[in-house]
Amino acid sequence: MTFYITTLLVYAAVDIIACIALNMQFGVSGLVNFGFILFQAAGAYTAAVLSLPPQSANGGFQQYVLGLQLPFPLPWIAGAIAGGVVAIPIGLVVLRKLRGDYQAIALLVISIIANIVITNARPFLNGAAGVSLVPPPLADQIGVEAVNTYEYQYFYVVISLLCVGLVLFAANRIANSPYGRSLRAMRENEVAAAALGKNLLAQKLTMFIVGGVMGGLSGAILVGFIGLWAPAGWLYPETIVLFAAIIVGGRGNNWGAILGAILVPVGFFEATRFLPNFGQPGLIPAFQWVAIGSLILGFLWFRPKGVFPERRRTFPNPSAG
Amino acid sequence: MPADLGPLLTATDVHRHFEGMHAVDGVSIEVLPGRLTGLIGPNGAGKSTFLAVLAGTLPASEGSIVFDGEEISPLPAFRRARRGLVRTFQLPSEFAQLTVLENLLAAAPKNRGDSVVGALLGRRYWGADEDALVERARGLLGRFRMIEKENQYAGDLSGGQKRLVEIMRALMLEPRLLLLDEPMAGVHPSIVGEIASYLESLRDEGLTILMVEHQLAIVERLCDPVIVMAQGKVIGRGPLVELRRQREVVDAYLVG
Repeated sequence: MTFYITTLLVYAAVDIIACIALNMQFGVSGLVNFGFILFQAAGAYTAAVLSLPPQSANGGFQQYVLGLQLPFPLPWIAGAIAGGVVAIPIGLVVLRKLRGDYQAIALLVISIIANIVITNARPFLNGAAGVSLVPPPLADQIGVEAVNTYEYQYFYVVISLLCVGLVLFAANRIANSPYGRSLRAMRENEVAAAALGKNLLAQKLTMFIVGGVMGGLSGAILVGFIGLWAPAGWLYPETIVLFAAIIVGGRGNNWGAILGAILVPVGFFEATRFLPNFGQPGLIPAFQWVAIGSLILGFLWFRPKGVFPERRRTFPNPSAG
Repeated sequence: MPADLGPLLTATDVHRHFEGMHAVDGVSIEVLPGRLTGLIGPNGAGKSTFLAVLAGTLPASEGSIVFDGEEISPLPAFRRARRGLVRTFQLPSEFAQLTVLENLLAAAPKNRGDSVVGALLGRRYWGADEDALVERARGLLGRFRMIEKENQYAGDLSGGQKRLVEIMRALMLEPRLLLLDEPMAGVHPSIVGEIASYLESLRDEGLTILMVEHQLAIVERLCDPVIVMAQGKVIGRGPLVELRRQREVVDAYLVG
């Protein structure tokens, strides 16, 4: 039971970080990043190949690049950086010329292409099977036995939640600053924002990188916990689940993103896991997707601003005080 | 403004084509400092397109635009805005989900918190800039009698109030040339006079304005000189009283 709870908590931390990242892009800045999961994958793969020993170590049953066996927390930091670095070329290609809706389509396509490429280019990241036996943080220092204790599980929860705190702190500082206001202005009306001196490309690319860093970190945390990362785990529909979470929780509000992460990717998928099996195999997952789609539609129809709407920013008035 | 100053903006032989359609077809104008210049003409004359080309919202197909002695036609819209060439839009373009006060603040340049690093450093780093800008924005809200609306979402305002927000927002940038695209469009007639008085007082304070406007009574009251466009070309310029006597101008309005 303890393992179940700690697993849920780590998953929650990962999804919360991902949702905050996507909220900063989609909710605050208006960037419809349908390829978001790609940045989480970049962080996860990077953290994996930096934690793993060289590929020959386990009898060479899997192929991957690097294998540097770096000590914690370097793989996590590198995972976050990788998410941001991947955002630069993709951002430059997608954000420069294309209008919002085409950006969304291009990002979706890039996410699918990347998944196919990684699946088929086996020597790079072990193809469809993915990289496995990724050592958890500090495993080299404290030994493999120590990793399988309750104490280690709780330690993992604590460091994951510390990362959530760090990401939330940074995200709220950005969202509540004058820069956040410029981002929201861009979201509301790009042409007018440009006419008022806002450099749209710089703002979008910056938020692409910021979201990429956060997404990369979320991937690094997840891969350290579950020990494997394969293309089947980052198919494009995963991004849609995160969008559903943000729409339910409240676009533009990081607390809404947290609530959405807890309700949709964690809560919803966990709750339906305990349904008794009925029908053909695959029927329940199919219904899960129907439910996610209905959730998005239902909220957009009846409560478009989500459970926690973006809050109205007011300024203290000295004369009224 | 001393009379010996040259024009603040000189556009020379500016063209803008859309798929072979010449929306702006070789327009040359000068905008003199401290004047409220009117730009009139029938629908489809290319006035709004020309304004968009001046502001950089649309790139010019050909031609030169010199603003304050500097060729600006290669610059994107945001760089022109930062140099003091600020436009408003014919259709409402308020930031709907921002409050009125935030709309003004969003336009303000020179805030230390308006970068990702500045934002991460926190209020301690940018609070002083922000407080000064809030005070300046409230000054404008007071002048335009919108102070009670400061916490309303701009999207919930009336058409006329949105116009005022747009003008105030542009003023937050301390523009040197304000380009207004039909600031009275979609505004209740009772507010038209109010907006006209605000523009009059801005002009009298020395702000240079180029305004596209349809309502000739307003143009007559505010603008001197007036430039007339039809079919992508300039067909007349001067004080409106003189233009009324020019056959070609009258025909363009009646026929157009």
